[in-house]
Amino acid sequence: MASHLLLAVLLASPLVAVAQEQLANQTSSPSLLGRHQKYPMPANGDKKPWYRPRHVVLQTGGGIGMIAAGVGYGLGKDRNELDILLGYVPTKYAGSSLSIATAKYTYSPFVLPVGERWQVRPLTIGGYISYTHGTINDEEKGQYAKGYYWFSTDTRVGPVLGSRLAYQRRTREGQTRNISFYYELGSNDLYILSYVQNRKALSVGDILTLSLGLKADF
Amino acid sequence: MNSWYSCGCTLALTGLVGCSLVEYSPNQTHMPATERALTNQALQRLQAHPKGKSDTVRFVFVGDTQRFYDETEQFVASVNRQRNIDFVFVAGDISDFGLAREFRWVHERLQQLQVPYLTVVGNHDLVGNGRAIYQTAYGPLNYTFRYGGTKFICLDTNGREYSFGARVPDVPWLQQQLQDTTGSRHTVVISHVPPTDEDFDPALVPSYTAALRGCPRLVFHLSGHVHRFSAGKPFHDGVTYLTTYSLAKHRYHIISLWGQRQFRLETVTYGPDA
Repeated sequence: MASHLLLAVLLASPLVAVAQEQLANQTSSPSLLGRHQKYPMPANGDKKPWYRPRHVVLQTGGGIGMIAAGVGYGLGKDRNELDILLGYVPTKYAGSSLSIATAKYTYSPFVLPVGERWQVRPLTIGGYISYTHGTINDEEKGQYAKGYYWFSTDTRVGPVLGSRLAYQRRTREGQTRNISFYYELGSNDLYILSYVQNRKALSVGDILTLSLGLKADF
Repeated sequence: MNSWYSCGCTLALTGLVGCSLVEYSPNQTHMPATERALTNQALQRLQAHPKGKSDTVRFVFVGDTQRFYDETEQFVASVNRQRNIDFVFVAGDISDFGLAREFRWVHERLQQLQVPYLTVVGNHDLVGNGRAIYQTAYGPLNYTFRYGGTKFICLDTNGREYSFGARVPDVPWLQQQLQDTTGSRHTVVISHVPPTDEDFDPALVPSYTAALRGCPRLVFHLSGHVHRFSAGKPFHDGVTYLTTYSLAKHRYHIISLWGQRQFRLETVTYGPDA
């Protein structure tokens, strides 16, 4: 239950951010009107309101959708990132159409510049929590006694590990914006448990998933 | 250009493990073409070695492979050492979380059996999108087949997975199958949840057991779910109900059927305790 709440809050936050921003624009004082900058940019850098997402994300695989799209935030010199994604799997691939909400946190300790425009993050580690809506057998209220199935059929958590390649483009204002391609190897709680209890029969490769994605700063 | 090197290596490694890793959801139904309609595939293999109507049918009966992959490998090794086995029957709960990969992990092991294997759907196989996954991987939830003069009726009795409601098991279908005795000498009914269990829809226990009682050709009713062996006539109506071990118990049954309603039950222990 707590995880569902957390997810709902995380999902709502970008929307709230956008709404607040619009509200702020509307209520800005008349004297500033006309000279109002959408995102005030001090000379020393690229400051934006804390709640404004820094990038958009598009991903396939990783157990969170055939296509998952969303927004994300960079924290601590952009080495930590929090992405909020909404994924979709059509009936053809799952027996019912699935909507999957995911919050993913990643940390990339090394940022290696390659030439002027390119950048490699050789290691990205992190984790995600996802909530799937729309399964065929969706645990109706009163269907099972408490603890009948000890696991949640909808909420998955798991680790991710990957790399990223980024291209740095410059905007007309002279700011840098990254467009990056990433891949992540991941797993989930139920796969990991299966592996831990069957070390002879299952291999790590059996429980891995792969995701491919794009991130673009804006 | 160390960074290029490391990046290239990682990408190449990723490329090697291939696209089947790109999983849309653990609940997805996608299966490689060779791993679909496994019930039909098994029945075709079985019918390729037909038996006379009066021959003894001998099959391995076990339940609940769920998340016991190490044990499943030991089970397969043991069954492959047996002689004169016609087929293996797994009485449901093939998977534990109803996830596609689990079905594949189990099939990967059970396909090493020298004889075909058949299944019936279990409650764990119906978790999440398990129903669609089972239908893709194996086939219909209710089906019948005939072998050596025996008609096997396999059906979904996991009432709780449908929040009860007097729809599962499909009793009219069962009655119809019990009445149609063409080409068979006796009948065996196999389901995952036995009608003595609280996960069986209580509203359907009377009609289900009455249907079985009304079939003089019925040898017995076989189930899994309880992970242990039990045998008896719990409804005091002459109908025998048997349950079998889960894979975790390192035991399975070999059932022989012959004559009008004769049968023999052998218990085999395997793995580290054997």
